Amino acid sequence: MSSWLADTIERAEEVNDWLSPKRKKSLSLLKDTRWPTRKTEAWRYTPVNNIERARFNVVESQGAPATDIPHLNAIDIVFIDGIYNAELSSKHFPEGLTITQLSEGNSSSWALDSFSKTKPERHFFGLINDALATQGCIIDIAADATIEQPIRIAQSFKQGTQTHTRILMRLGERASACVIEQLEGDELCFNTSFAEYQLAASAKLEHYRLAMQCADAISLGGCHFHLAEKAKLNSNLIGFGSQLSRVDYDIIHAGQFTDSKFNVIYLLDGKELFDLHSAIEHTQPNGKSEQNIRCIVADHSNAIFNGRIHIHRDAQKILAEMNNRNLLMSENAQINTKPELEIYADDVRCAHGATIAEIDKEAMFYLQSRGLSRNEAQVLLSFGFINELVDLMNNQAVAQWLRPILKQRFAAMEVS
Amino acid sequence: MTEQLDEALSREYEAGFVSDVESRTFEPGLDEDVIRRISAMKDEPQWMLDWRLKAFALWKKMPEPDWAHLQYNKMDFQAISYYSAPKSMDERPKSLDEVDPELLRTYEKLGIPLIEQQQLAGIAVDVVFDSVSVVTTFREKLLEQGVIFCPISDAIREHPELVKKYLGSVVSQKDNFFSTLNCAVFTDGSFVYIPKGTRCPMELSTYFRINELNTGQFERTLIIADEGSHVSYLEGCTAPQRDENQLHAAVVELICLDGAEIKYSTVQNWYPGDENGKGGIYNFVTKRGICHTNAKISWTQVETGSAVTWKYPSCILKGDNSIGEFYSVALTRGAQQADTGTKMIHLGKNTRSTIISKGISAGKSNNTYRGLVHMGKGATGARNFTQCDSLLIGDKCGAHTFPYVESRNPTAIVEHEATTSKVSDDQMFLCQQRGLDPEKAVSMIVNGFCKEVFKELPMEFAVEAGKLLEISLEGSIG
Repeated sequence: MSSWLADTIERAEEVNDWLSPKRKKSLSLLKDTRWPTRKTEAWRYTPVNNIERARFNVVESQGAPATDIPHLNAIDIVFIDGIYNAELSSKHFPEGLTITQLSEGNSSSWALDSFSKTKPERHFFGLINDALATQGCIIDIAADATIEQPIRIAQSFKQGTQTHTRILMRLGERASACVIEQLEGDELCFNTSFAEYQLAASAKLEHYRLAMQCADAISLGGCHFHLAEKAKLNSNLIGFGSQLSRVDYDIIHAGQFTDSKFNVIYLLDGKELFDLHSAIEHTQPNGKSEQNIRCIVADHSNAIFNGRIHIHRDAQKILAEMNNRNLLMSENAQINTKPELEIYADDVRCAHGATIAEIDKEAMFYLQSRGLSRNEAQVLLSFGFINELVDLMNNQAVAQWLRPILKQRFAAMEVS
Repeated sequence: MTEQLDEALSREYEAGFVSDVESRTFEPGLDEDVIRRISAMKDEPQWMLDWRLKAFALWKKMPEPDWAHLQYNKMDFQAISYYSAPKSMDERPKSLDEVDPELLRTYEKLGIPLIEQQQLAGIAVDVVFDSVSVVTTFREKLLEQGVIFCPISDAIREHPELVKKYLGSVVSQKDNFFSTLNCAVFTDGSFVYIPKGTRCPMELSTYFRINELNTGQFERTLIIADEGSHVSYLEGCTAPQRDENQLHAAVVELICLDGAEIKYSTVQNWYPGDENGKGGIYNFVTKRGICHTNAKISWTQVETGSAVTWKYPSCILKGDNSIGEFYSVALTRGAQQADTGTKMIHLGKNTRSTIISKGISAGKSNNTYRGLVHMGKGATGARNFTQCDSLLIGDKCGAHTFPYVESRNPTAIVEHEATTSKVSDDQMFLCQQRGLDPEKAVSMIVNGFCKEVFKELPMEFAVEAGKLLEISLEGSIG
C-alpha cells in the first residue's frame, strides 16, 4: 500500500461524527480495494499516479469564491477550499426547503440512511470521500414544494489544498427544484466532490454540474441519482478538464415511468484530461433515458468517455438512447470512448452511437470563402456543435453566462 | 415444404455422434515431457521444440483472463489430454484409399465427402481429426500453381523457412493466456502459402472435428498470401455430444502482403451443451491478420455452437490503403455464452475498416459484442464504420455491447452505432397474417436480420449457415 493511501486511511480513522457508522463500512472496503492502475478497467485511460506523488495540505479557507452567475437569483451555498462560508451563503430559504451543513446532521435524520446509498460501492475515490468528507450540505425539499429559485452550490479551490465535500439531497413526492453545482479553480489542488440525489415519486430535478476546474487541478467526483416512480431528471454537465478530472454519473431508474435526460459538453485544451463514466441503470419497466455527449479536444488533451446502459431482467418497455459525438482537433490529442450496452430484457429499444472526426473541411472552406478567418470559422463551427446542447438548458441565466465563456475557450484552443 | 421444415425444426445437434475409432491418446496432464512427446510424434526439428518450450515457460507465469462477460468453471489444464490421434494414422496414409473407412464414414455423415471425384469442383479440404490432419485433398493440383496447402506439421518439415519467418509474427508467443498455451501444445492445423500474383484456383477449407473424450483441440493455422495474391478460406467445426466440457484453443494467423487479399470464413458449430448448460465446447480462439500496403483481410463468421465462445478475429492495418472487414452472426441459445467481436488497429494512411456484427440471443443465453477500433497517430484519412445489432428472443436472455473506440488522429473518422431490439410484434403479425406459422416467421425475420453477413459467405456456407440458424431457433418462441 502506498504511503499516500496509508496516510489517508489513518486520517479517516480519526474522523468521528454522526456518519461514522457509514464511514466505517466504506473504510473497510477501501482497505480491500486496490489502487487503480492501467489494468483496472474503470481507470484504463486515466492515470492517477499524480495524486500519490503530490503533497497537499488540509488548510483553512482563504481563497476567493467561485465566479458569480449574473441574473441567476440563486440560493447560494458557498464553499471555499472545501469549507463552508456562512457569510457568502444565503441565510433565508423559501418554504419547503431546508439546508443543513453536513457537520450539523444527526444520526436520526434521513440523511444517514441515504449517505452512500446511490453511490457505487466500489468507487475508489468515492470511498475516500465517504471516509473523509466532513464538509458539505444536506438539502431537503418537502413533498409538493416547488422551489422557484435555483440552488447554487459554489465551490472554489486554490493551490495546495486537499478537500472532500459531499452533498446529500432529497426531493419529496411531487417536489421540484433546480440545483447548480459549480466547481472552479485552476491551481494544483486535490478535491473529491460527490453528490447523492434521491428523487421521490413524481419529483422533478433540473441539475447542472459545471465542472470547470482546469489546468493543474486534480478533481474527482460524481453525481448519483435515484429516481422513484415517475420522477424526472434533467441533468447537464460541463467539463473543462484539468491535469486529472474524473466524474462518475449514476442514474438509477428505480421506479416505473421514470425519465432522465443527460447532456454533456466537454472542451479540452493543453494537456488536460477529462474522464466521464456514466451508468444508466433501468431496474423497472417503462423507463426512458436519453444521453447526449459532445466533446471537443485540442492540443495534447485526452477525452475519455465510458457510458453504460444497463437494463435489468424484466425491465421491459424501456427506451434508452445514447449519442456520443467527438471532434478531434489536433494531432496530439486523443479520444477514448466506450459506449456500453448491457441488456437483459427483450421488449426494449436501445441504441447508442459514437462518432469521432475533425471539423468538416467543406464547411470550413465555405466559411473561409465568405471572408471568415480560419480561427473564426473554427470557433463558429465548433461552437455550433455544442451550442445545440446549451440551447436545451432550461435555465437561461446559466446558458447566457456559459456561451461567452465557451466561445472564449474555443478561441484560445490550440488547433493543428 | 412443410415436411422439410418440420424435419429441420425437430433436428437436434446433428453432429453429436461419436465415431468408433481406436485412438492413441496421451495421458491427461501437461508438462515439458508432454510437449517433447508431441514434438516427437510430429517429427519436428529442434527449433520448433525450443519455440514450444519457450512458450510453455511463458504460459506458466500467465494468469487466466477474466475480463470477458462469461461465467464458466475454470478448466483444470492438467485434466486434459493434449494429444489424440486415430491409431490408423500411425502410418500416414499415402492416399485416400489407405484412410481408415470409419474416418471416411464420419465425414460422410457430417456431409463432407472426401472422395475427390464426388466433390463439388473448386474446394480443397484439409481434415483435422482430434490432433492430426487426416487428409488434404487436391494438394498436388494446387501445387501446380505454386499454392502450398498442407497440414502445418508437414509445413514445419517441408517449408521451415516460411514457417520460421511467419509463425508467431502476428500473434506473438506471449499474446494471451490461450494463444500461449496453443504455442506450446498445438498439434495440427492448416498451412497455406499463395505465391506472388496468384489467384488460388479453388476455395480452401479446413474441417475440424473433436472426437475423443477429455481431449482438447489446439490447432494452428497459418495463411500467407504473397504480394498480389488472392485466397478464400473456409473453416468448419463440430464435436460429439458429451456431458463434459472440452477445450478448443486455436490460433489463426493471416499474413497479407502488399496488394493481397484473404477472405476467411468460419461456420462454427461445436457442440453447445444441453439446455441447462451441461457439456459443450469451450472455444477460446485467437485470430489475427496483418495487412500490408493495399492488402485486404475479410473475416466472416457464423457462430452458432460452443458453450462458451471467446473469439476476436482482428486486423492490424499496417500498410497504407489496407482494408479490414469483419462480418459476424453470433447466435446463442440454451445456456450458451458468447463474447466475441473484433479489433481493427489502424496504423497506415487511408486504411479502412467495416464491422458488421449481428447478435441473436434466445433461451437463457448471453451474447456479447466486444470490439476495439484504434486509430493510431499515423492513420491519416482512415475510416471505420461499425454497426452492432442485437436481437433478443425471449425475456431470459441477455445482449451486451462493449465497444472500445480510440482515436489519435484528427483526420480519421470513426462511426459506431448499436441497437438492440426484439422481433417486433408488427413484423410477426404481418408474416402470420400471410399464412406463415410463428416459427417460420421468426426464422424468416432472423434470416433477414443476418442477411448483410450471409451475403459475404461463400455460397455453400451461406446455405449451411441459414439452415443452422433455422435449426438453432427451434422452440425459441412460444
